[in-house]
Amino acid sequence: MNRRIARALVPAAVLGVATIGALSVFMGSGAGASTTSTTSAGTVAQSKAAEVISVPNAAYQTTRPNAGTANSNMQIFNKSGKLVAYGDKNVTYTAPPSSLIPLGQAVYMQNCASCHGVEANGVASNGTPGGYPNLRGLGPATIDFWVESGRMPAADPRSVQAQRHPPRLSHTEAVAIAAWVNSLDPATPYIPHVNAVSTAAVTDGFSLFALNCAACHTITGGGDALANGTNAPSLRNIPATQVAEAIRTGPGNMPRFTGNLSDAELRNIVAYVTGYIQHPSNPGGLGLGGLGPVAEGFIGLALGVGLLALIAFWIGDRT
Amino acid sequence: MSAEQHTPVSITSVSIDDPHMQPLARNPRRMEQTIATAMFFGLLSFVLFGVAYWMNWAPWSLGVTLGLGMVLLGFGVTAWGKYLMPKGPFVEERHEVASTEEQRDSFAAAVIQRNLGILGRRKVLGGLAGAGLGVFGIVAAFPLIRSLGPLPKNSLKTTDWKAGSYLVDSTGRAVKVGDVAVGGIVTVFPMGFEDTDNGQAVDQTVLIRLATADVVTLAGRESWGPSGYVAYSKVCPHLGCPVGLYEQQLEVLVCPCHQSMFTVSNGGYPTFGPAPRPLPQLPLYVDGRGYIRSQGGYNQPVGAGFWERS
Repeated sequence: MNRRIARALVPAAVLGVATIGALSVFMGSGAGASTTSTTSAGTVAQSKAAEVISVPNAAYQTTRPNAGTANSNMQIFNKSGKLVAYGDKNVTYTAPPSSLIPLGQAVYMQNCASCHGVEANGVASNGTPGGYPNLRGLGPATIDFWVESGRMPAADPRSVQAQRHPPRLSHTEAVAIAAWVNSLDPATPYIPHVNAVSTAAVTDGFSLFALNCAACHTITGGGDALANGTNAPSLRNIPATQVAEAIRTGPGNMPRFTGNLSDAELRNIVAYVTGYIQHPSNPGGLGLGGLGPVAEGFIGLALGVGLLALIAFWIGDRT
Repeated sequence: MSAEQHTPVSITSVSIDDPHMQPLARNPRRMEQTIATAMFFGLLSFVLFGVAYWMNWAPWSLGVTLGLGMVLLGFGVTAWGKYLMPKGPFVEERHEVASTEEQRDSFAAAVIQRNLGILGRRKVLGGLAGAGLGVFGIVAAFPLIRSLGPLPKNSLKTTDWKAGSYLVDSTGRAVKVGDVAVGGIVTVFPMGFEDTDNGQAVDQTVLIRLATADVVTLAGRESWGPSGYVAYSKVCPHLGCPVGLYEQQLEVLVCPCHQSMFTVSNGGYPTFGPAPRPLPQLPLYVDGRGYIRSQGGYNQPVGAGFWERS
């Protein structure tokens, strides 16, 4: 085995060097624009990946720059040296303001502590996949997504999958909870904001959606059933920030899309979802929910053929 | 209505004042008004269709006006025939189809006694015609057989994955060990084949990260899952659909076509659905510079079953 590996190493090394070179050129071109356009009370620094942040939950982080990771082109630190925002010109990830920590603690204790524990480190439970998970080190984007999408506080904590609801807590309260939980074990990803969605490349977004998202959420974004009572939810009514949060954090059974999707690609996907998926053109006037050929065929059979049968009865009846 | 009126009468002999010639409608005048109203609005819908077309209104308005026009006009014509025309029922006799006995006998005599005798005089010509048709039948089969395509040879059993192949995503970027978070999935191809038909059909592979430490999915595959990465063929062993639905908490891959489920942490073993075999697993390793590469090809042919395999 080792000899086969060694034999393949020479051409592979050439290709590898070429890949690294192309990547570094790509990353270098984006750096200047984003740092100059960023102004802040804190200091602006570049490429300080090594000393950026302690990462307690390294399993959920990746090393590729500009992929929802702290080692991005743009990094903003506050006066005490804490990373408060990072990203590039496509997506800005912002830490929840530390001024909200006291409010977040209070809201957490009222709404979340009974299941996730007063230290947010989770409670083991029988029967529920994932139990009541440890929230520490997941990053603010995860907390914000679950609360802002109305899944938490959970209506039925024992259900297989928390479903989307109108949010029970306000936007400020959600960000406050994220601020407090993150203060226990600081981690990324921060809460993403997708910049200038209207000018993103939606054709690229469509290709990436078809490759990465459509398998479960279907090509029309209507969602579908999955294994063991779980389902992929509809994407028809989800704000841009929550789409980005879900892609970067992988809520529930959804995979995390991190290193393999750059922030530029993330922005293109969000543009496609919030544009074409949520506002389909439906040239026929009635989209039938985009449920696909089986559902449309059923409607055609039940309504169309049923109606034709009734008309045939009327025509043939001579009394 | 009496039974006599339901008996069919001959359409050639019925008189104009026969009950069969009366319309079905009890009040023909009101029925005519109803039909005229429907037809008028149908006509109006067609006019509106023309207006909608020239004014470039939304496509659904074209469908609604055209559909409504046809329904109303169709109702008018049908109701006219049903309620205002003579209600019948009528019959119309037709003549005998078969020839007479004499005609059939004389035709058979002419064919058998005269024509076969004439044909039998030219045995050479008859033999040549038969042989020509036979040869034609044989050579005509050549292009038919050839159009089945080349023999598959070994292509059903091999892919483009070789020892040392880099795993690249659909854009050609090679995947490094730190790129994918735990719970992440990437569709990968052997480097150089991400844009080829064979690459997208046969080589497509899902790369999943289950953990940060090495993962052993089955005994004998101890070195196949470095740094928590496992790779399986994306081609379902049932009928070849792309097995791209990954549930990261259940660690289950689902096939969208027939809901086969494969356990990722257990060698791609099928736990539900019609899939007859586990997903083929691709052995991986991480090279010195952190790139994920394949130790070699798949452990078994990818995709659906074929002859010579179950």
